[in-house]
Amino acid sequence: MNRYDLIIIGAGPAGLSAAISAAKNGLSVIVFDENSKPGGQLFKQIHKFFGSKEHKAKIRGFRIGEELLKEAEELKVTVVLDAIVTGLYQDKEISVKIGEEICHYKGDAVIVATGATENMVPFEGWTLPGVIGAGASQTMMNLHHIKPGNRVLMLGTGNVGLVVSFQLLQAGCQVAALVDAAPKIGGYGVHAAKVARCGVPFYLSHTIIKAEGEDCVRGVVIGKVDSSFQLIPGTEKHFDVDTICLAVGLSPMSQLLHMAGCKMQDTPLGYVPVIDENGATSVPGIYAAGDVSGIEEASSAMIEGRIAGTKAAEYLGFLSEDAAKEITAGLELALDRLRKGMFAPENRGKKITLTDEGIPVSDSLLTRGYLDEDELDRFPGIAKGKGIHPVMECTQNIPCNPCQDACPRKCIKIGENITSLPIIDEENSCSGCGMCVASCSGQAIFLLNEDYEPGYASVTLPYEFLPLPVKGDTGMALDRSGKKVCQAEIIEVKTPKAFDHTSLLTMKVPLDMAMKARFYKSRGCSHE
Amino acid sequence: MNKRNDRLAEIGPFISQPDDDMIICRCEEVTKGEIRKAVHDGMFTLTEIRRYLRTGMGLCQGQTCSKLVKSIVAKELGLPPGDIEPAVSRAPMRPIEMKILGNDRKEV
Repeated sequence: MNRYDLIIIGAGPAGLSAAISAAKNGLSVIVFDENSKPGGQLFKQIHKFFGSKEHKAKIRGFRIGEELLKEAEELKVTVVLDAIVTGLYQDKEISVKIGEEICHYKGDAVIVATGATENMVPFEGWTLPGVIGAGASQTMMNLHHIKPGNRVLMLGTGNVGLVVSFQLLQAGCQVAALVDAAPKIGGYGVHAAKVARCGVPFYLSHTIIKAEGEDCVRGVVIGKVDSSFQLIPGTEKHFDVDTICLAVGLSPMSQLLHMAGCKMQDTPLGYVPVIDENGATSVPGIYAAGDVSGIEEASSAMIEGRIAGTKAAEYLGFLSEDAAKEITAGLELALDRLRKGMFAPENRGKKITLTDEGIPVSDSLLTRGYLDEDELDRFPGIAKGKGIHPVMECTQNIPCNPCQDACPRKCIKIGENITSLPIIDEENSCSGCGMCVASCSGQAIFLLNEDYEPGYASVTLPYEFLPLPVKGDTGMALDRSGKKVCQAEIIEVKTPKAFDHTSLLTMKVPLDMAMKARFYKSRGCSHE
Repeated sequence: MNKRNDRLAEIGPFISQPDDDMIICRCEEVTKGEIRKAVHDGMFTLTEIRRYLRTGMGLCQGQTCSKLVKSIVAKELGLPPGDIEPAVSRAPMRPIEMKILGNDRKEV
């Protein structure tokens, strides 16, 4: 029997963070993961994360994964890959399949950070090749560099559905539509807006009736549902697609905790262990962190991991109660800040009509994926200005504030509460550097200059597609819904390292298009 | 007695539905109709369904279908899915060949 102070199951954001916290306090730590690469889902997250600095905001997920791995390595944490934990037994003994053997380990404490698995939804033809999980398509694209299909329909408009749809577009796939049985888009409006301005239509209150095809997916039929999710006959709509991605939620992989005898509960977030605020389960010395204890984001999983690692150190006597409290108090504050705003766990399923500032939310954003022009004026980030100035189409209270730190002239204010909407500080003037545009994880900031040339305005937008247009290119400007509205000429392309692969395109458009044009389409570009 | 285990509960006769031939457990190729019928045969818990039909006993070990099976059973019993006890979690969690299961590493 191999003994360790702490055994961690799962080398994703929660598991690695827990390992780092525990190893820092002197525990001998071993981490098992069934995958051949560590990092859990982090390495397929190519987008910039939300939050504030303490949550590693505006850093791309895979970079966060690299940082965590390096930190764990420096602390001499043992990470065993291709290692399937087959059982968690009494007295914190585990059996692990490594290679062709079953090995036995015993820990004085165990942290289960096994994450979650994708939900499926059955419909006629759902077992055809070509119906895949959205996460699976992300693995194919971002880890293995394989296009999951050429033309895709996405079911589910939570953040997974929205983010993966955008990444499908980035990978060169066409996204035929985003479909959700709910009447409102579930994920962040800014994620929806990114997809909508590429011209992808949203079908809310719709569901998949059937996947068509004999040997693989050749098409899909969707239909409208009423308020009790019953199909309305005669509303069928067909799309030619070769891939159907399902982004209909995740279920915690909590079986090991169940098996270990931890008290469990069935909640809307899945079958999860009953835990206290530190991740301690009903079995002393066994902790749960990350999605296994309830589906959230990688950002919160990392903090939960750090808390669990710290508490395990305290449980085993490596940290005094006071010292542990000092560490966890800070972490809990950071976690609280992430769990605020419209998408906070406590607001799940609630209908929110006003922002924290008392501004009516955009209905168009929630149903069509983009802001209606008539709704723009009421949001504080969308102010008119002289000369070049930022336009922040950030209209929901989400925990995120990198734009505030990004502006070297302090033009952008969010304040203490990181879920507040950004406002423009009129005292300071914009230099047009574009740091805010590149820092916005939601790609919701644009720079406008209505005085660019008589009769013409310039619009600077974040652009993460290849091939990158070059100065002098002409193409079409698209509005927020992806509709072509006018000719546009690219007058500048900026890609400094500080922008971290978000290029800034500046296009010249007729003055009356300044508040409409939000995307650029070169001639012969595939993402439509 | 536990609500979900009330064997005297009257759940009515089995009435066939148009999508009864839809496969729910892909690994073991169990259809929706078979699962619904099993409930009418008296299998009220997921563990019973699992033993009776082998749902969730294949390659994916229930990762894909367990939630679906649960909602079908719940609907048939007229209960919210939360009232259905999840199947027992048991080693080895993932499909493992017998020759490996029998190959305990010797002490080092």
